[in-house]
Amino acid sequence: MEYKLRKAEPKDVPDILRLVKELAKYEEMEHQVALTEKDLLEDGFGETPFYHCIIAEIQGESSSEDPKVVGFAMYYFTYDPWVGKQLYLEEFFVMNEYRGLGMGSEILRHLSDLAMKTRCTGMMFVVAENNAPSMQFYKRRGAEDLSQEEGWRLFRFDKDSLLKMATPAEE
Amino acid sequence: MDFSIRAANVEDCKDIARMIVELAEYEKMTEHVKITQRDLEQDGFSKNPFFHGIVAEVPEQLRTKDGHTKIGYALYFYSYSSWAGRAVYMEDLYVMPEFRGKGIGKALMSKVAQLGLAAGCNQLNFTVLDWNQSSRDFYMSQGCSDITTSMGYHCMRCEGEALQHLAQP
Repeated sequence: MEYKLRKAEPKDVPDILRLVKELAKYEEMEHQVALTEKDLLEDGFGETPFYHCIIAEIQGESSSEDPKVVGFAMYYFTYDPWVGKQLYLEEFFVMNEYRGLGMGSEILRHLSDLAMKTRCTGMMFVVAENNAPSMQFYKRRGAEDLSQEEGWRLFRFDKDSLLKMATPAEE
Repeated sequence: MDFSIRAANVEDCKDIARMIVELAEYEKMTEHVKITQRDLEQDGFSKNPFFHGIVAEVPEQLRTKDGHTKIGYALYFYSYSSWAGRAVYMEDLYVMPEFRGKGIGKALMSKVAQLGLAAGCNQLNFTVLDWNQSSRDFYMSQGCSDITTSMGYHCMRCEGEALQHLAQP
Protein backbone atom coordinates (compact mmCIF):
# COMPACT_ATOMS: atom_id res chain seq x y z
CA MET A 1 0.00 0.00 0.00
CA GLU A 2 1.40 3.37 -1.00
CA TYR A 3 1.65 6.01 1.65
CA LYS A 4 3.39 9.32 2.03
CA LEU A 5 4.59 11.49 4.91
CA ARG A 6 4.14 15.23 4.85
CA LYS A 7 3.99 18.27 7.11
CA ALA A 8 0.57 18.88 8.63
CA GLU A 9 -1.48 21.82 7.36
CA PRO A 10 -4.39 23.67 9.00
CA LYS A 11 -6.87 21.51 7.05
CA ASP A 12 -5.50 18.42 8.84
CA VAL A 13 -6.66 19.59 12.26
CA PRO A 14 -9.89 17.50 12.30
CA ASP A 15 -7.86 14.37 11.40
CA ILE A 16 -5.23 15.20 14.04
CA LEU A 17 -7.92 15.43 16.71
CA ARG A 18 -9.52 12.21 15.50
CA LEU A 19 -6.19 10.37 15.77
CA VAL A 20 -5.39 11.93 19.17
CA LYS A 21 -8.70 10.53 20.43
CA GLU A 22 -8.05 7.13 18.85
CA LEU A 23 -4.68 6.92 20.58
CA ALA A 24 -6.22 8.03 23.88
CA LYS A 25 -8.79 5.23 23.45
CA TYR A 26 -5.94 2.73 22.88
CA GLU A 27 -4.40 3.97 26.19
CA GLU A 28 -7.84 3.77 27.84
CA MET A 29 -7.76 7.54 28.47
CA GLU A 30 -10.31 8.86 25.98
CA HIS A 31 -12.12 10.99 28.56
CA GLN A 32 -8.90 12.87 29.23
CA VAL A 33 -8.78 14.59 25.83
CA ALA A 34 -9.88 18.17 26.48
CA LEU A 35 -8.38 19.66 23.30
CA THR A 36 -10.65 21.02 20.57
CA GLU A 37 -10.07 21.64 16.85
CA LYS A 38 -9.93 25.37 17.63
CA ASP A 39 -7.11 24.81 20.17
CA LEU A 40 -5.15 22.66 17.71
CA LEU A 41 -5.53 25.29 14.99
CA GLU A 42 -4.44 28.23 17.18
CA ASP A 43 -1.67 26.33 18.91
CA GLY A 44 -0.15 24.61 15.87
CA PHE A 45 -0.67 27.06 13.05
CA GLY A 46 -0.55 30.49 14.66
CA GLU A 47 2.38 32.89 14.91
CA THR A 48 4.29 30.86 17.49
CA PRO A 49 3.43 27.19 17.14
CA PHE A 50 3.48 25.15 20.35
CA TYR A 51 3.75 21.93 18.35
CA HIS A 52 4.57 20.55 14.91
CA CYS A 53 2.97 17.61 13.19
CA ILE A 54 3.75 15.17 10.41
CA ILE A 55 0.98 13.23 8.77
CA ALA A 56 0.96 9.79 7.12
CA GLU A 57 -1.66 9.45 4.42
CA ILE A 58 -2.67 6.77 1.94
CA GLN A 59 -4.23 7.25 -1.46
CA GLY A 60 -7.97 6.85 -1.74
CA GLU A 61 -9.31 3.63 -3.23
CA SER A 62 -10.26 5.30 -6.49
CA SER A 63 -8.73 8.36 -8.15
CA SER A 64 -11.73 10.49 -7.22
CA GLU A 65 -11.41 9.67 -3.51
CA ASP A 66 -9.46 11.96 -1.17
CA PRO A 67 -6.29 10.61 0.42
CA LYS A 68 -6.89 9.30 3.93
CA VAL A 69 -4.91 10.38 6.99
CA VAL A 70 -3.97 7.20 8.84
CA GLY A 71 -1.09 8.20 11.12
CA PHE A 72 0.64 11.17 12.66
CA ALA A 73 3.38 12.34 14.97
CA MET A 74 3.24 15.48 17.11
CA TYR A 75 6.55 16.95 18.30
CA TYR A 76 8.23 20.10 19.56
CA PHE A 77 11.71 21.24 20.58
CA THR A 78 12.86 21.21 24.19
CA TYR A 79 16.10 22.04 25.98
CA ASP A 80 18.31 20.03 28.28
CA PRO A 81 20.76 22.46 29.95
CA TRP A 82 23.34 19.66 30.14
CA VAL A 83 23.40 18.68 26.46
CA GLY A 84 21.28 21.21 24.58
CA LYS A 85 18.37 20.99 22.15
CA GLN A 86 16.17 17.90 22.11
CA LEU A 87 13.33 16.85 19.86
CA TYR A 88 10.39 15.86 22.02
CA LEU A 89 8.01 13.32 20.55
CA GLU A 90 4.65 14.07 22.19
CA GLU A 91 2.39 11.79 20.23
CA PHE A 92 2.95 9.04 17.67
CA PHE A 93 0.19 6.86 16.26
CA VAL A 94 -0.71 4.74 13.24
CA MET A 95 -4.30 3.48 12.94
CA ASN A 96 -4.65 -0.18 13.87
CA GLU A 97 -5.73 -1.39 10.46
CA TYR A 98 -2.71 0.27 8.78
CA ARG A 99 0.03 -1.12 11.00
CA GLY A 100 2.72 -3.51 9.83
CA LEU A 101 3.37 -1.51 6.65
CA GLY A 102 6.46 0.26 7.96
CA MET A 103 4.73 3.64 8.46
CA GLY A 104 5.69 3.82 12.15
CA SER A 105 9.34 3.08 11.45
CA GLU A 106 9.37 5.60 8.62
CA ILE A 107 7.84 8.32 10.83
CA LEU A 108 10.47 7.63 13.47
CA ARG A 109 13.23 7.67 10.88
CA HIS A 110 11.97 10.98 9.50
CA LEU A 111 11.90 12.54 12.99
CA SER A 112 15.35 11.21 13.93
CA ASP A 113 16.73 12.67 10.73
CA LEU A 114 15.01 15.98 11.51
CA ALA A 115 16.46 15.90 15.03
CA MET A 116 19.96 15.48 13.64
CA LYS A 117 19.49 18.15 10.97
CA THR A 118 18.30 20.65 13.61
CA ARG A 119 21.30 19.81 15.82
CA CYS A 120 19.35 18.10 18.59
CA THR A 121 21.45 15.73 20.66
CA GLY A 122 18.53 13.47 21.47
CA MET A 123 14.91 12.59 20.86
CA MET A 124 12.81 12.27 24.01
CA PHE A 125 9.38 10.90 24.79
CA VAL A 126 7.32 9.16 27.46
CA VAL A 127 6.02 5.58 27.45
CA ALA A 128 3.63 4.00 29.97
CA GLU A 129 5.36 1.08 31.68
CA ASN A 130 2.36 -1.20 31.06
CA ASN A 131 2.53 -0.52 27.31
CA ALA A 132 4.81 -3.46 26.57
CA PRO A 133 4.55 -3.35 22.73
CA SER A 134 5.61 0.33 22.67
CA MET A 135 8.38 -0.23 25.24
CA GLN A 136 9.75 -3.07 23.09
CA PHE A 137 9.39 -1.03 19.87
CA TYR A 138 11.51 1.79 21.29
CA LYS A 139 14.05 -0.25 23.23
CA ARG A 140 14.70 -2.39 20.14
CA ARG A 141 15.67 0.86 18.41
CA GLY A 142 18.13 1.88 21.13
CA ALA A 143 15.98 4.07 23.39
CA GLU A 144 17.07 4.30 27.03
CA ASP A 145 14.56 4.25 29.86
CA LEU A 146 15.79 7.22 31.93
CA SER A 147 13.21 6.57 34.64
CA GLN A 148 14.55 3.08 35.16
CA GLU A 149 18.25 3.78 34.57
CA GLU A 150 18.66 7.16 36.27
CA GLY A 151 15.59 7.38 38.50
CA TRP A 152 13.79 10.35 36.90
CA ARG A 153 10.14 10.70 37.87
CA LEU A 154 7.70 12.91 35.96
CA PHE A 155 5.74 15.34 38.13
CA ARG A 156 2.83 17.49 37.11
CA PHE A 157 0.82 20.47 38.39
CA ASP A 158 -2.63 20.58 36.82
CA LYS A 159 -4.54 23.81 36.16
CA ASP A 160 -6.04 24.11 39.68
CA SER A 161 -2.77 23.61 41.53
CA LEU A 162 -1.03 25.88 38.99
CA LEU A 163 -3.47 28.67 39.85
CA LYS A 164 -2.87 28.15 43.58
CA MET A 165 0.88 28.27 43.10
CA ALA A 166 0.78 31.36 40.94
CA THR A 167 -0.93 33.38 43.68
CA PRO A 168 1.02 32.80 46.88
CA ALA A 169 -0.81 33.36 50.17
CA GLU A 170 -0.25 36.70 51.92
CA GLU A 171 2.49 36.36 54.55
CA MET B 1 15.16 37.51 53.45
CA ASP B 2 15.42 40.27 50.90
CA PHE B 3 15.48 38.85 47.37
CA SER B 4 14.06 39.60 43.93
CA ILE B 5 13.04 37.47 40.97
CA ARG B 6 13.43 38.72 37.40
CA ALA B 7 13.70 37.49 33.83
CA ALA B 8 17.20 36.32 32.91
CA ASN B 9 19.19 38.29 30.35
CA VAL B 10 22.27 37.33 28.34
CA GLU B 11 24.64 38.70 31.01
CA ASP B 12 23.26 36.16 33.48
CA CYS B 13 24.54 33.21 31.45
CA LYS B 14 27.85 33.04 33.36
CA ASP B 15 26.00 32.63 36.67
CA ILE B 16 23.38 30.32 35.16
CA ALA B 17 26.15 28.10 33.75
CA ARG B 18 27.78 28.06 37.20
CA MET B 19 24.51 27.10 38.91
CA ILE B 20 23.69 24.44 36.27
CA VAL B 21 26.94 22.71 37.27
CA GLU B 22 26.08 23.14 40.99
CA LEU B 23 22.66 21.56 40.39
CA ALA B 24 24.27 18.71 38.44
CA GLU B 25 26.68 18.16 41.36
CA TYR B 26 23.71 18.00 43.74
CA GLU B 27 22.08 15.45 41.40
CA LYS B 28 25.38 13.48 41.28
CA MET B 29 25.56 13.88 37.49
CA THR B 30 28.32 16.47 36.92
CA GLU B 31 29.92 14.41 34.14
CA HIS B 32 26.71 14.78 32.08
CA VAL B 33 27.11 18.57 31.69
CA LYS B 34 28.43 19.44 28.23
CA ILE B 35 26.81 22.86 27.79
CA THR B 36 28.95 26.00 28.02
CA GLN B 37 28.13 29.62 28.86
CA ARG B 38 28.31 30.39 25.14
CA ASP B 39 25.79 27.66 24.26
CA LEU B 40 23.37 29.17 26.78
CA GLU B 41 23.85 32.64 25.29
CA GLN B 42 23.11 31.35 21.78
CA ASP B 43 20.32 28.95 22.69
CA GLY B 44 18.48 31.15 25.18
CA PHE B 45 18.97 34.69 23.95
CA SER B 46 18.86 34.67 20.18
CA LYS B 47 15.85 35.41 17.96
CA ASN B 48 14.21 32.01 18.54
CA PRO B 49 15.17 30.96 22.07
CA PHE B 50 14.93 27.30 23.03
CA PHE B 51 14.41 28.11 26.68
CA HIS B 52 13.61 31.00 29.02
CA GLY B 53 15.15 31.75 32.38
CA ILE B 54 14.36 33.58 35.59
CA VAL B 55 16.97 34.50 38.18
CA ALA B 56 16.77 35.09 41.95
CA GLU B 57 19.04 37.84 43.25
CA VAL B 58 19.96 39.11 46.69
CA PRO B 59 21.31 42.60 47.54
CA GLU B 60 25.10 43.15 47.69
CA GLN B 61 25.24 42.92 51.49
CA LEU B 62 23.96 39.31 51.34
CA ARG B 63 26.35 38.13 48.62
CA THR B 64 28.13 34.77 48.99
CA LYS B 65 31.77 34.57 50.07
CA ASP B 66 32.69 34.24 46.38
CA GLY B 67 30.81 37.47 45.64
CA HIS B 68 27.69 36.03 43.98
CA THR B 69 24.38 37.87 44.23
CA LYS B 70 22.59 35.64 41.70
CA ILE B 71 21.74 32.75 43.97
CA GLY B 72 18.94 30.83 42.27
CA TYR B 73 17.36 30.26 38.87
CA ALA B 74 14.71 28.39 36.93
CA LEU B 75 14.82 27.38 33.25
CA TYR B 76 11.58 26.66 31.44
CA PHE B 77 10.08 26.34 27.98
CA TYR B 78 6.67 25.81 26.45
CA SER B 79 5.51 22.37 25.49
CA TYR B 80 2.26 20.74 24.41
CA SER B 81 0.02 17.99 25.67
CA SER B 82 -2.05 16.27 22.99
CA TRP B 83 -4.78 15.90 25.66
CA ALA B 84 -4.62 19.19 27.56
CA GLY B 85 -3.00 21.61 25.12
CA ARG B 86 -0.48 24.28 26.09
CA ALA B 87 1.89 23.35 28.88
CA VAL B 88 5.01 24.77 30.48
CA TYR B 89 7.98 22.56 31.30
CA MET B 90 10.24 23.58 34.18
CA GLU B 91 13.59 22.09 33.20
CA ASP B 92 15.67 23.36 36.15
CA LEU B 93 14.88 24.85 39.56
CA TYR B 94 17.80 25.63 41.87
CA VAL B 95 18.65 27.71 44.92
CA MET B 96 22.20 27.77 46.35
CA PRO B 97 22.36 25.74 49.63
CA GLU B 98 22.96 28.71 51.96
CA PHE B 99 19.84 30.47 50.64
CA ARG B 100 17.41 27.58 50.98
CA GLY B 101 14.46 27.46 53.37
CA LYS B 102 13.62 31.14 52.79
CA GLY B 103 10.87 30.81 50.19
CA ILE B 104 13.11 31.54 47.18
CA GLY B 105 12.44 28.17 45.49
CA LYS B 106 8.72 28.62 46.01
CA ALA B 107 8.91 32.16 44.60
CA LEU B 108 10.80 30.96 41.49
CA MET B 109 8.27 28.19 40.88
CA SER B 110 5.39 30.56 41.48
CA LYS B 111 6.84 32.91 38.85
CA VAL B 112 7.09 30.05 36.31
CA ALA B 113 3.45 29.17 37.11
CA GLN B 114 2.39 32.80 36.56
CA LEU B 115 4.25 33.05 33.26
CA GLY B 116 2.78 29.72 32.15
CA LEU B 117 -0.76 30.74 33.01
CA ALA B 118 -0.28 34.07 31.22
CA ALA B 119 0.71 32.10 28.11
CA GLY B 120 -2.46 30.00 28.36
CA CYS B 121 -0.90 26.85 29.79
CA ASN B 122 -2.92 24.19 31.58
CA GLN B 123 -0.06 22.17 33.08
CA LEU B 124 3.40 22.61 34.56
CA ASN B 125 5.58 19.51 34.13
CA PHE B 126 9.07 18.67 35.40
CA THR B 127 11.13 15.68 36.55
CA VAL B 128 12.63 14.83 39.94
CA LEU B 129 15.12 12.11 40.83
CA ASP B 130 13.54 9.29 42.80
CA TRP B 131 16.11 9.48 45.65
CA ASN B 132 15.64 13.25 46.02
CA GLN B 133 13.12 12.92 48.84
CA SER B 134 13.34 16.52 50.09
CA SER B 135 12.51 17.85 46.61
CA ARG B 136 9.75 15.27 46.11
CA ASP B 137 8.24 16.29 49.47
CA PHE B 138 8.51 20.00 48.62
CA TYR B 139 6.73 19.56 45.28
CA MET B 140 4.01 17.28 46.66
CA SER B 141 3.34 19.86 49.42
CA GLN B 142 2.75 22.43 46.65
CA GLY B 143 -0.03 20.29 45.17
CA CYS B 144 1.47 18.34 42.29
CA SER B 145 1.15 14.66 41.36
CA ASP B 146 3.82 12.06 40.58
CA ILE B 147 2.82 10.95 37.06
CA THR B 148 5.42 8.20 36.98
CA THR B 149 3.70 6.60 39.97
CA SER B 150 0.06 7.35 39.08
CA MET B 151 0.25 6.61 35.33
CA GLY B 152 3.45 4.57 35.05
CA TYR B 153 5.01 7.06 32.64
CA HIS B 154 8.70 6.50 31.97
CA CYS B 155 10.93 9.21 30.44
CA MET B 156 12.76 7.81 27.43
CA ARG B 157 15.59 9.11 25.27
CA CYS B 158 17.24 8.10 21.97
CA GLU B 159 20.62 9.74 21.58
CA GLY B 160 24.10 9.40 20.05
CA GLU B 161 24.55 6.26 17.97
CA ALA B 162 20.99 5.09 18.52
CA LEU B 163 19.66 8.38 17.12
CA GLN B 164 22.05 8.26 14.15
CA HIS B 165 21.05 4.69 13.45
CA LEU B 166 17.36 5.56 13.56
CA ALA B 167 17.94 8.38 11.07
CA GLN B 168 19.42 6.00 8.45
CA PRO B 169 17.17 5.15 5.50
